[in-house]
Amino acid sequence: MALVGSWLYNICLAVVCVVPTQNELKFHYTVHTSLDVVEEKVSAVGKALPDQRELYLGLLYPTEDYKVYGYVTNSKVKFVIVVDSSNTSLRDNEIRSMFRKLHSSFTDVMCNPFYNPGDTIQSKSFDSIVSAMMVQSS
Amino acid sequence: MAQCAQSVQEFVQDSFVPTVAVLCSADAERVTRRNNLSFPELLRPFCRLTSEGHLRDPNNLVVVVKGLRISVTGVNTQPLQPGEVRKLLSQAVSGCQPPEGLPANVVTAGDYDLNISATTPWFEAYRENFLQSMPASDHEFLNHYLACMLVVSSREAAPTEQFQRLSQEQHRVQHSGEYTHPKWFIPNTLKYYVLLHDISDGDEQRADSVYEDMKQRYGTQCCYLLKINSRAAAAGPAEQMPDPWSQYLQKSRAQSPVSPAVLSDALSESHPLELDQTSNLGYPGNPSVAVNSIDTSRKQGGLPASSTPVAHGACLTLNDHDRIRQFIQEFTFRGLLPHIEKNIRQLNDQLVSRKGLSRSLFSATKKWFGGGKVPEKSIAELKNTAGLLYPPEAPELQIRKMADLCFLVQHYELAYSCYHTAKKDFLSDQAMLYAAGALEMAAMSAFLQSGAPRPYPAHYMETAIQTYRDVCKNMVLAERCALFSAEVLKSQVKYSEAAALLIKMTSEDSDLRSALLLEQAAHCFINMRSPMVRKFAFHMILSGHRFSKAGQKRHALRCYCQAMQVYKGKGWTLAEDHINFTIGRQSFTLRQPENAIAAFRHILINDSKQVATQQSAFLREYLYVYKSVSQSSSDVTLPQLPLPCLHSAQTRVFFGHERRLAEGEKQAATHVWLDQEYDGEQAQLWAELEEQVVGVANKGSVPIGFQPTQYCLSCHTDNLRYPLAVVEEPIIVEVVFRNPLKVPLALAELSLLWKFTPKDFSRPPGGVPGEALSNEKEVTALNDIISTEVIPEFTIGPEETKVARLQLLPHKTGELQVLSVLYSLGTVEEDNGTTSRPTFVRGRQDLEIQGPRLNTTKEEKTSVRHGPDHRLDPVITPPMPLLEVFFINFPTGLLCGEIRKAWVEFVNVSAVPLTGLRVASTHPEFFTFGCAASDLTPVTPTASEHCSAYKTMATPPSVAATMLVSPAMFGVSGDDRPTVAEIPLVGGGLGPGEALQIPLWLRGPDREGVHEINFLFYYESVEKNANHRVLRHKAFICASRSLSVRATACHSNTLPRRGGAEEEGGSSMLVFVDVENINTSEAGVREFHIVQVSSSSRQWRLHTCINPTGDRDSRLASRERGKLCFRATRCRTQEGETHARKYTFADLNLGNEQIVSSTTPCADFFFRRGSPSEAQKGGVSVGGANHTRRQSLTPAGGADDGVTGVVQKCSEVELNIIVLWKAYVVEDNKQLILEGQLHVALQTVGKEACSVPQKEEAQEMVLLKFKPDQPPPVSRPTLEQLSRLIKTCLHYPESYDHPFPQKSLCMVPVTLTLSNCSLAQVDVIIDLRHKTTSPESLEVHGTFTWLGQTQYKLQLRPHEVQRLVLKACFFQAGVYNLGTPRVFAKMAQAGTMCETSQQSSMPALIVINSV
Repeated sequence: MALVGSWLYNICLAVVCVVPTQNELKFHYTVHTSLDVVEEKVSAVGKALPDQRELYLGLLYPTEDYKVYGYVTNSKVKFVIVVDSSNTSLRDNEIRSMFRKLHSSFTDVMCNPFYNPGDTIQSKSFDSIVSAMMVQSS
Repeated sequence: MAQCAQSVQEFVQDSFVPTVAVLCSADAERVTRRNNLSFPELLRPFCRLTSEGHLRDPNNLVVVVKGLRISVTGVNTQPLQPGEVRKLLSQAVSGCQPPEGLPANVVTAGDYDLNISATTPWFEAYRENFLQSMPASDHEFLNHYLACMLVVSSREAAPTEQFQRLSQEQHRVQHSGEYTHPKWFIPNTLKYYVLLHDISDGDEQRADSVYEDMKQRYGTQCCYLLKINSRAAAAGPAEQMPDPWSQYLQKSRAQSPVSPAVLSDALSESHPLELDQTSNLGYPGNPSVAVNSIDTSRKQGGLPASSTPVAHGACLTLNDHDRIRQFIQEFTFRGLLPHIEKNIRQLNDQLVSRKGLSRSLFSATKKWFGGGKVPEKSIAELKNTAGLLYPPEAPELQIRKMADLCFLVQHYELAYSCYHTAKKDFLSDQAMLYAAGALEMAAMSAFLQSGAPRPYPAHYMETAIQTYRDVCKNMVLAERCALFSAEVLKSQVKYSEAAALLIKMTSEDSDLRSALLLEQAAHCFINMRSPMVRKFAFHMILSGHRFSKAGQKRHALRCYCQAMQVYKGKGWTLAEDHINFTIGRQSFTLRQPENAIAAFRHILINDSKQVATQQSAFLREYLYVYKSVSQSSSDVTLPQLPLPCLHSAQTRVFFGHERRLAEGEKQAATHVWLDQEYDGEQAQLWAELEEQVVGVANKGSVPIGFQPTQYCLSCHTDNLRYPLAVVEEPIIVEVVFRNPLKVPLALAELSLLWKFTPKDFSRPPGGVPGEALSNEKEVTALNDIISTEVIPEFTIGPEETKVARLQLLPHKTGELQVLSVLYSLGTVEEDNGTTSRPTFVRGRQDLEIQGPRLNTTKEEKTSVRHGPDHRLDPVITPPMPLLEVFFINFPTGLLCGEIRKAWVEFVNVSAVPLTGLRVASTHPEFFTFGCAASDLTPVTPTASEHCSAYKTMATPPSVAATMLVSPAMFGVSGDDRPTVAEIPLVGGGLGPGEALQIPLWLRGPDREGVHEINFLFYYESVEKNANHRVLRHKAFICASRSLSVRATACHSNTLPRRGGAEEEGGSSMLVFVDVENINTSEAGVREFHIVQVSSSSRQWRLHTCINPTGDRDSRLASRERGKLCFRATRCRTQEGETHARKYTFADLNLGNEQIVSSTTPCADFFFRRGSPSEAQKGGVSVGGANHTRRQSLTPAGGADDGVTGVVQKCSEVELNIIVLWKAYVVEDNKQLILEGQLHVALQTVGKEACSVPQKEEAQEMVLLKFKPDQPPPVSRPTLEQLSRLIKTCLHYPESYDHPFPQKSLCMVPVTLTLSNCSLAQVDVIIDLRHKTTSPESLEVHGTFTWLGQTQYKLQLRPHEVQRLVLKACFFQAGVYNLGTPRVFAKMAQAGTMCETSQQSSMPALIVINSV
């Protein structure tokens, strides 16, 4: 499972892997490419009611080995979760709640007055929440 | 998918064209060979028809054939083997590179601006070659031969027989069944007889006659006389002819411009079997056929055809071109199209006739019998049917044949219906290969129908591709199908479908195909309505990867570079590193080392998140590439190195020698050195000191352009001016390196790169500056001008920040510019036994320092502008004096007030004399060089080590010896302390190399604690207009507590005895000195001895010691306290005003040695003591004013101020006590005697003064005041002060015997002495009537009465003493208090004031005895 917060200009904020060195490059590519799909989905929803937009985008696309899920906040920060396709324990609802949790902890990070938007996130509490989530899910 | 040169329709049409075989006789071949062409090649440029053709379909409708192209090939052209195809394709792709300098297409998508090549010619080349190399298949007829040209030369002896033979040959090839390869469309192939006539060579009439003969024999429609070679070959290249063949032949033959020979070799070698066949077995006795093979002809023609671009068609004129064109047209319109028309009709008739019966019957029976069978058909069986082969004459194939014919002549409507029918038949037969072919073509013809547009059946294509790939396992056909389909989808703006289709076609079996298709897919993504940039990038990377696997390095590099644009700078570091690394590798293998270096640089510069091993791999690769580049290039300028990071802004420059450390007892001045951190406050402090000393040196005024000297320039200093460096003095540049990697880096041969412009400053300005020199070529080459230090080795650990100090030593004057750091970069090799030296590469990094950001004008505020920074551009000036200062016996710890003698050595280490040596200090009271008057005996420091610092005289303790000293002698003028002291040098200066030692006295600071003492030595050159130089020294002194001295002064009531030697004005004072040992270190200091108490004042002096006890040497152990009492008298003042400024020093020694306090160093320190009392005095006066009781005084007038002054003077003392002590200290089992002096300034009578400055804790918290302070009340003399105007004293016998029995009244004479303490006239009223009112006193004393006048009025002049003789009358014996007279005093001038009661004197008790 990998995870990305992506700022307005699609600058990578954080990529976290369960096993840090395992194919990290591949995750980078996968997640980066998925942003196209995210953009497509967001623009498909339309700009009529941005406030009531559903943040969770659902399954972006399946690849051979992974399922890629996306989530976009109102400020166009993108979260992407990549799940092993053999993992059946994670249903849509679980993924959705994971995103919610992630979003709230991300909001906490953003509320930190010492955080510069656009920087790589270096927050212990955020890290612990994310890693707890990943350990739990994997 | 990228844009193509052709439209889709054109592309499809050109892909499926009627093919015509050529069978050529040997003579005919020879004729064409003169043009370096075979006959098919000769025709090839003219195979596209420019005019429209017409034919009628079975329904008699006219079909217009537009832009038809026919394909003419030798009959014997063999299909290529798969391996050769692969080779051919790969060469086609690699031979076609993106054109250089073509304006790239800029695609803007979101935040991305991408430069993408709009066209992909390599893909088109690949596609063309791929389609051409398609082997003919049995399930379709599109590329089967429709006709055959039989070509015979007119020179042939018997052309007719030759035609006969060729015709038989053709028939044999088609029908004998021996040859599988050339596939023929229809059994009765159209034969077209061509008589080739060489105009320059042959007999034209004969040719015409043969042609007539042919026409009669074969019919006019099937014959043609082609006349070519109207020009003799010898005419040569004089005439420039267009060469329409080159493009075709280049493409087909010499695809790869690099090695056409290799290609031709490869082709010929791979056909050994075929060659044998043609020459020996296949066509025995018929050499004409064999020549058709390209390879053979090539062999015959010799190599020149391939190795050098031979001009084709050298014997052809433009007329010949026209003839050929006409020939093709004739052939097509009169031969081929009618033939096709005829065949379509035939096939149609066949089909129609069979349709009613056989086909329906056939299918009906099939349904009948097959109905039950269907469920039993297994997959395996279905697969078997995939390979099903129909016999050539099968009706299903006939319909397909007709469809193909229709398709070839662009009759798409009919073709579609035929394909559709055929598809149904094939599907029902489960002949999957056939079905797929029909599906594919049905879709194509549906797409190409121009009339009623049928929706393009994309699912047909999908099914076809799937079937080809999965069922038939025929990737070639699947690929062809996909190429067409993608092209069609693209034309219909269905990019995502096209991309999906292309991506699906990628597989492991062909890297080249996968790469090309992925690239096209990527182009599809970018061309979508909302461009999918990231998908584009990702597929580009995949494509690049495949390209590199396929050996197409150039294309791989291009793909990665295009993808890089998307990933760059977005934080996807791993991806970015990966791309950069690949780009670097590919660039290097493609001999683009500059790009490779740039790419590797990127990986290394940015904060890499890679693991250490990866980083070291990157680094090694980089170094390797870099090294090979630097070896190959002969550039003079060294390239920039990316590692380690150079923090230019933190560069510091130091001018001067490295600091010398202490040598034994000698301790060098700290000066400035790079190890010292910059401290803004300190810098400010030094600058102020320098300003002071410069001010003094310039007689009170600081020059306008004064700038404090800076020896160490950093980012904190002001670097606007060019710094000055002195010739033969080193310049040290400190650069900061940071290693961002997790692997250590090794630098070698680190040095500075500079540029130097020599300039002679002794000449008048405006001279031509010399030529600029640089040490770029050889680091140490110009060591005679500027010596450059080289650091041989310098290692930086992982993620370490390290500084390197590099030195330059200029030997000539001029302007220097430090440009960059030169070094060799290498890896640190782990010691694992390898003997190979780690690779080192030479390079540089420029020191570019940006000045501070400007922020003064509006433009500067709104934009980002930086000022200049010249810290690296020093000006080398002519030699200047250079001073070094050493301190000898300089202590680190002192007792408060301790006096220590140290020595200081001044050395002029330069070759220029120096003068004007001065020193400024933050603590001028701390040290003294002695006064000018004192003899500076050149005693060496060792000789005087254990002597007293003071000048002493052996005198027994007695009355104080006095000495009058002017403060000016000690360099003190006015009240302010001198912060700048001139250092007395012998002869006023120091010559080159001279050294001078002079004594220095130090006195421990009064406050305990650690004191930071700054010395700034100032000196200048003997020459005028030269700059001054300074030397800094910072000393730390730890002061520990010694003694605390408190002193109080009281008016003495005793009046001086009349006629005494010291009688002057009658004023004297008692001084009480309390001395307490407050030293806390019991171990160190054993005891203190008070040796002497001296006084220094302008008005008072200590007179005698009136200590009651005989304990003369007043010893004070720890925490002991002693008290000393002295009598002070007023000094003589008769000398007048000139002496008012002079100080009287009075020494009262308690031991047998008198310390002459009026000389160095005692007096020096006294004058330098500072005046801590100033503040106290102010405090007191304010406090006193606050306590003024509002008594019945009239409001103060102008005169009151004068009065106040006078009154205050009265109680002022201004007496300074100097307590000289000795301390016995045990240190290392040795007893040491330390000396010291403490100062106490007495100011007011009765007010205690202390040597230890009181801590003003009250100052710590100052209340914020929101209201302005009330103006202090007008100071007026307090009551207490007023009550001290007059000192009274009663003189009487202590006891008086009186015989009361005899005489009842006892009269005692009493003298009342009145002394005016003030400097003004005072009116005094003495009232004797006053009685003590306290009952207590009544009890104690009996009553007595004053006799005579009871009230006196006197006026006393300043300091006047008057005596009144009074008489007291006693009635009985007893003890009486005589102190009853009340004295009132009033200033004579201050008329408005009331008289104030004067302080009553002590109880004056008299004992009256009765005898």
